[in-house]
Amino acid sequence: MTVSNSTNNPSLQHTLDSFNDCIDLIHRTLPDIHVHLVYFDHLVGSDALYRDIINPLTQAKEYELQSLFKKSQYQLTTDSIAVIQGILNGQVAIFHKENVYLLDAYKPEARSIDQSETESVITGPHDAFVELATSNISLIRRRVKSSRLKVLKLAVGEVTKTDLYILYIDGIANMDYVRDLIKRIELIEVDAILDGHMLIQYIDDSPNSIFPLFSVSERTDTAVSKLAGGKIIGILDGSPSVFSAPSSFFEFLASPDDYYQRWLLGTATRLLRFAALVITLTFTALYVSVTTFHYEMIPEDLLLTLTESRSRVPFPPLYEALLMEVTIELLREAGARLPSKIGQTIGIVGGIVIGQAAVQAGLTSNVLIIAVASSAIASFVIPSYVMSASIRLIRFGLIILAGTLGDLGIAMGIAYIIIHLSGLTSLNTSYITPIAPSYFKDWRDVFIRAPFWAMRDRPSQSNTPNKVKMKQKK
Amino acid sequence: MREKLHPFHIGILIYMTQAGVVIFSLPRVIAEHLGYNGWISLIIYYGIAAINITLISLVYRLADGKSIFQIMEDAIPKIVVLPLYIFLLSVWTLVGCMSAKRYIIIYQIFVFPTTHPMLLKLLVDVLAFLLIIKGIYNITKAATLFFWLVIWTIFLLLFFVHDFQWVNLTTFYFHESSDIVTGSFRIFTAFLGYELILLLFPYAEKRKGVMKAVHIGNLLTFITYTLVCLVCFGFYSFDQLKRMKFPMIDLLAYIELPFVERIENLIFSIFLFTSLMGIVMYNWAAVEAAQRILPKANVKWLSAIIVGLAFAVSWIPNVLVEVDAWLRFLGQIEVGIAFGLPLLLIMLLLLQKRREEPWIDYNEP
Amino acid sequence: MDRLQRAVMLLLIISVLTGCGDQRILEKLGFTQTTSYDLDPNQEQASNDEKQEQQKLLVSVTIPRTSDETSRELITATAYTSKEAKLKLQSQTEFRMVSGQLRNTLFGLSLAKQGIWEHIDTLVRDSSISPRVRVTIVNGSAHELLAKDYSQHYRTGQYIDRMLEKEAISQTIPEVSLYQFTKDFLDDGIDAVAPVIKQINDHVAIDGVALFQDDRYVTKIEPDQAIIFAILRGKFKNGEMSVDMSEVGRSNEHIMFTSLISNRKIKVKASPEAQRYYADISIDVSGSVLEYTGKLSIDNEEHQKQIEKTIEEYIKLKGEELIAMMQKNNVDSIGLGKYVRNKLSYEQWKNLNWRKVYPTIEVTCNVHVRIKDYGKFVNVEQ
Repeated sequence: MTVSNSTNNPSLQHTLDSFNDCIDLIHRTLPDIHVHLVYFDHLVGSDALYRDIINPLTQAKEYELQSLFKKSQYQLTTDSIAVIQGILNGQVAIFHKENVYLLDAYKPEARSIDQSETESVITGPHDAFVELATSNISLIRRRVKSSRLKVLKLAVGEVTKTDLYILYIDGIANMDYVRDLIKRIELIEVDAILDGHMLIQYIDDSPNSIFPLFSVSERTDTAVSKLAGGKIIGILDGSPSVFSAPSSFFEFLASPDDYYQRWLLGTATRLLRFAALVITLTFTALYVSVTTFHYEMIPEDLLLTLTESRSRVPFPPLYEALLMEVTIELLREAGARLPSKIGQTIGIVGGIVIGQAAVQAGLTSNVLIIAVASSAIASFVIPSYVMSASIRLIRFGLIILAGTLGDLGIAMGIAYIIIHLSGLTSLNTSYITPIAPSYFKDWRDVFIRAPFWAMRDRPSQSNTPNKVKMKQKK
Repeated sequence: MREKLHPFHIGILIYMTQAGVVIFSLPRVIAEHLGYNGWISLIIYYGIAAINITLISLVYRLADGKSIFQIMEDAIPKIVVLPLYIFLLSVWTLVGCMSAKRYIIIYQIFVFPTTHPMLLKLLVDVLAFLLIIKGIYNITKAATLFFWLVIWTIFLLLFFVHDFQWVNLTTFYFHESSDIVTGSFRIFTAFLGYELILLLFPYAEKRKGVMKAVHIGNLLTFITYTLVCLVCFGFYSFDQLKRMKFPMIDLLAYIELPFVERIENLIFSIFLFTSLMGIVMYNWAAVEAAQRILPKANVKWLSAIIVGLAFAVSWIPNVLVEVDAWLRFLGQIEVGIAFGLPLLLIMLLLLQKRREEPWIDYNEP
Repeated sequence: MDRLQRAVMLLLIISVLTGCGDQRILEKLGFTQTTSYDLDPNQEQASNDEKQEQQKLLVSVTIPRTSDETSRELITATAYTSKEAKLKLQSQTEFRMVSGQLRNTLFGLSLAKQGIWEHIDTLVRDSSISPRVRVTIVNGSAHELLAKDYSQHYRTGQYIDRMLEKEAISQTIPEVSLYQFTKDFLDDGIDAVAPVIKQINDHVAIDGVALFQDDRYVTKIEPDQAIIFAILRGKFKNGEMSVDMSEVGRSNEHIMFTSLISNRKIKVKASPEAQRYYADISIDVSGSVLEYTGKLSIDNEEHQKQIEKTIEEYIKLKGEELIAMMQKNNVDSIGLGKYVRNKLSYEQWKNLNWRKVYPTIEVTCNVHVRIKDYGKFVNVEQ
């Protein structure tokens, strides 16, 4: 075919040269009408390919092509880079004489919509996001039937050029935050970003902090409720993890279940979770502190059993506790790697047998096993996996402090955590809203779950221009 | 930082700065100096503090959000003001670090008697430093969190309702008091902390509630002290109370729950938070003053130097008696500052208002 | 400011690691459960010039080693002061002795007669000792009582402790802790008391309530009168009383008055100029009567009122007797002084020599008794 000499004008040869050694590129010719098709067939849906391209083109005569190509799905492209990018994006490049047209036929194979493995609820919708961004957007659009749901498209990753979609509801979200978020994303200069979790570590306020600053979820109902609350959602193509900003520390302790159950139950569950948070942080540390420094705190009846079980252990309580905690972490991590059938067995075996055997071998005491096991179980009560991992790590710090400085060590550890939390911001809003700054109205949805008629305003952290989410009835 | 402080948080901040480790020995101090039923006198000290706060609110109104350093520098040439700043800086730094030392030494009477106190002080100072460099807005956030963790301990007093006897209080009022003047200073220093509101002027939201919040913080301090002292006076006999060095710790030691007893060490550790707030606020005030002297210096290094100097000075006194002596002396000076500084500022502000020529404000904050 | 923060972190880590000084690891400790103090009986009588008293101090250490419910270690030492004794005791055991779990202190009678405040003072100063530690007097040698293992019972220390706890609930003894003793001792309007126990063959038994004048043991109240003392001392719930009606005119009749709830109010009328003081104690007791031996029928309404009256008379009689006994011994164990004090001005109280005046005050009891029920079975007679 005719070859154009200009480097700006896209030419078939130039395009094919760029994809040298890409055996998965398909080059079809329709010699009768002098049309070349270049595309990746694994990216292109064969229905669309046949319906929109192959069939019309094979049936058309050459003189009809002009009018055919005037249709809106055929995009005339003059930039060679755009052509290459288009082919990479799953479009079909149609070369006819000097013109190149791109037609979008992107329909890759994707995982079907299924339940999320890491976030499950007892009641409520079970569909979760998949890796294909367009499917995810579809899941959200189905639930938010409003033209005010805005979807912006950005690209991240110099090599991967992954699509990133920012969603927000116009009129509810704060535009300053949207702009700030976009600015941060545009500043990223990295080769590849593979997952939503990875992305947020590039854009959040304090990447060095142990606490996650943007909330990530795989659930569609969560994403939609965040949008309605005035937050901004980000969907990264290739990742089912959808992040939302700004987030507060207490958001990581909430679960969709709280809303699907009646308010008293939701409140009880929330309070249980806060208790679990305290338990997981301090239980083992208190055990270490009491057995190392503060024996007077033990009630008399417990004293002898405790001393007796400790007497068979050769190490000081601090080392005993660290040993058990590390063992539990090993079990947990191993259980995550193993295929599910073996994983469950290891969990049971590890939990019961090893614990029991450790006590009988005299490596730990029974009370410690209870303390460590309760802490571990309590840490899994926290709905967000990332947050519960952070808390587990902090626990180690507290245990060491407890073992070296007793109650004062625990107090200092907690003071340090609080000092650290006070400096954290999520998209420039305070991370520990609504405690500081104190918005008592928000407490109804953070510490308890008030009945719906009592929760009328959106969370204060999103700084929304539209505060009221529910008009008064009755 | 960028945002302004809401009055609610200012109230909490003031409360946390005021209420400190003094509360542990306060009932005994009151019994020693003010005699029988001395706890009633707390209302007088509260009143004096409230008057002082009212004075400061006058300054606030006249100042209209300007920083007090600004006011002073506008009226007095910088060379004259500089030694004043250095004086304030030193007093505040010392007050902060001495109260921290006091907390640690008291803690050591009960736990860790042989650990070197400066080691613990180092840790506390490091924590304080980490908080100071985060700026006043984050300090307030931390104060709020600390407040919620500490305030519930007041409900422990309910435990003593059963053993409290009104007849124990006797019908004598203020007999067997001694050294009322020295004692009053000591007791009044328990209320100190509110004067730091002077430094918060440029950071507070311009609302009417700011000074009201300070009053409420002061009131809360007063209520806390009164409740604790009342319980102590009714739970212990008078001579017994006079002989107990730290009545509140004994009070806590008496509490017995089915799953734990002798929680006094745990609760005292929680009071680390209030002591920490005291150190942080006073050192922060010193850093603010230091920034006026060396405006170009890096804030973080400045804070490090001040905290470091404070640490060094706190090596000197080693025993509780010495630290108490330092604190008594510093307390008296601080009372002077608490009253003197607002008076000075009022004078300066009134002077400014009287000036004939129009005032060009080229120092917009 | 990463460099600065990193330096700070490093400093923090180092200092935390070096702060492992004063550890008190649980299994290395020997928890003192009960301490007994006695005068050393083996000491030769010193001449009157040198008032030398060596006290035999005995500490019982319960070893939390085995799960056997009766094992414990008992260590004994003699010394001039209790802290010196502790040093001597420490050298006899492989565990680090700590007093944080101390529950009970026993004082031998002879020591109690001389005064126990200096020992109480030492205990109160120690910050590791709980203010709830009991103070108990032993009618005899505290050491011997503590040293013996009572075969049918738990470890001796805990045996005594639990018994005292149980008895305090039914008001046969007052519950006296270091806090309570110190409070009463230092209060000039009341005198301290303490429970008394005694060794009887293979058991330990309650032997009444010890009355102190300041810190010296003076006399005691017998166990059967303890309930009257409890009624006079303050309000309580849950006690029982055996009323021997022959003392109030009805011979060979007894009532068991149980599940008592008692309240008392003391009113004082004072005329200090005339040095005359009147105290009126109004007592309100209610309870159940489940056992009655006598001629009256407890299910007859009229008789019920009679029974109530009888009990009232009994309590009044016994109460005034008890107070008279206390006045004779010059021990104000009920705390009438506190109420007198509230009626006087400060100067009047300070000028008053309560010790002299106390035996002269007139005390009357006004008792009101109410029998709540007679049980669930009715015996109908004519």
